[in-house]
Amino acid sequence: MNAQEYISSGIIESYVMGLTTPEENTEVEAMCRQYPEVLQARIAFEELLEQQSMQNALAQPASLKATITEAAMKNTAAKVVAIEKSSVPKISWFKYVAAASVILLAGSLYWNITLYNKNKQLENNYSSSIAKLDDLQKQIDMINLNPHMKMAAMKGMDASPSSFATVYWDTTSKDVYLLVNNLPAPPTNQQYQLWALLDGKPIDIGMIENDFFVSQKRLLLKMKNASQAQAFAITLEKKGGNPTPEGKMYVMGNL
Amino acid sequence: MNSGIKYSEQELVALLQQRSESAFSYLYDNYSGALAGVINAIIPDTETMRDVLQEVFVNIWKKIELYDASKGRLFTWMMNVARNAAIDKIRSRGYQESKKNLSVDNGGQEMAIGGVSLPQTKDIGLQRMLAGLKEEYRTLIELSYFQGYTHEEISKALGIPLGTVKTRIRSALSNLRTMIR
Repeated sequence: MNAQEYISSGIIESYVMGLTTPEENTEVEAMCRQYPEVLQARIAFEELLEQQSMQNALAQPASLKATITEAAMKNTAAKVVAIEKSSVPKISWFKYVAAASVILLAGSLYWNITLYNKNKQLENNYSSSIAKLDDLQKQIDMINLNPHMKMAAMKGMDASPSSFATVYWDTTSKDVYLLVNNLPAPPTNQQYQLWALLDGKPIDIGMIENDFFVSQKRLLLKMKNASQAQAFAITLEKKGGNPTPEGKMYVMGNL
Repeated sequence: MNSGIKYSEQELVALLQQRSESAFSYLYDNYSGALAGVINAIIPDTETMRDVLQEVFVNIWKKIELYDASKGRLFTWMMNVARNAAIDKIRSRGYQESKKNLSVDNGGQEMAIGGVSLPQTKDIGLQRMLAGLKEEYRTLIELSYFQGYTHEEISKALGIPLGTVKTRIRSALSNLRTMIR
């Protein structure tokens, strides 16, 4: 049914005059919201009815106004008094308060549990963060506070000019630590291998595990010891490495 | 009486909701006559009509929060409050008793509908408008609007299918609009 048919069906007049069922009321109200012309028709009929009623007004004696006004005002007053004086509302107040406190208590319990869990999680995160920091601090101290520590800054070669890595070599303990500043993640079937160079000959100092590039948990990687070295270099080799470098060299640096 | 102030419907409703006595006074001055006419069309007896008018104004004052401007104009709402109060009155036992003394025993409500002791066309407002309607329409409007019978009740009492009652009432009201124009 289109809006025009709806308007001429007479349902709007029925609605305005209070002759429609609740379901029909809902329908008319929806139609008024949807179709401006339906709303217009409703208002037009309402105005017509009002105008008609005004023309047929029955004047009432002046004394009636005072009586009716008094009755209305007394009614407002009576309502206020009822709320203030009656004891019944007091009981219901208690009920409301009791109900409200139960709800509040339940809410507060839930909130407490949530907060407790959150707090615990934060605590865990905090202690693991502290442990990580400690670990990092130890690694850094190892380099900074050790007077025997030598460093080789390895710069990117032709294969990967932006790559960069650093080797820290303890000349006393011969321990080698690798700091990967920037290396592209290797293909899964290959691995980076660190070499110490002595008189131009490469000596295997160990593999960089590929999962380092995934998790990056550690700052410094402990490699094999190097008894002697003049320089260090990293090449990309097959998985597990090679006895002598076969792949491309990514970085290299002198001590 | 009229102080010359003119409120918009919105302002008037807002003031009534704030329980402004001067707004009530304005409402009474402007609408008591029209609402008296609406009630009188259902209750011809002046004294009873005024009792109902008082009830209507008290109700409007008490229930103004229930008025929803999106559903219709203020006057429409008040008119329906008045009509409902008037119908409640004529349906009340007290009113029925007082009526019985005046008329012949009509054997209860069902008969009253069936026998439709109709217009006595009161020469006012809607009733006068009704006079121009076809007989079959007039009866239906009289029963539904002025006596407050539901469509189902009318359908049963007059032996007309419910759908027909509804369509006829609607087209009667639709005619009403064009007639007034």
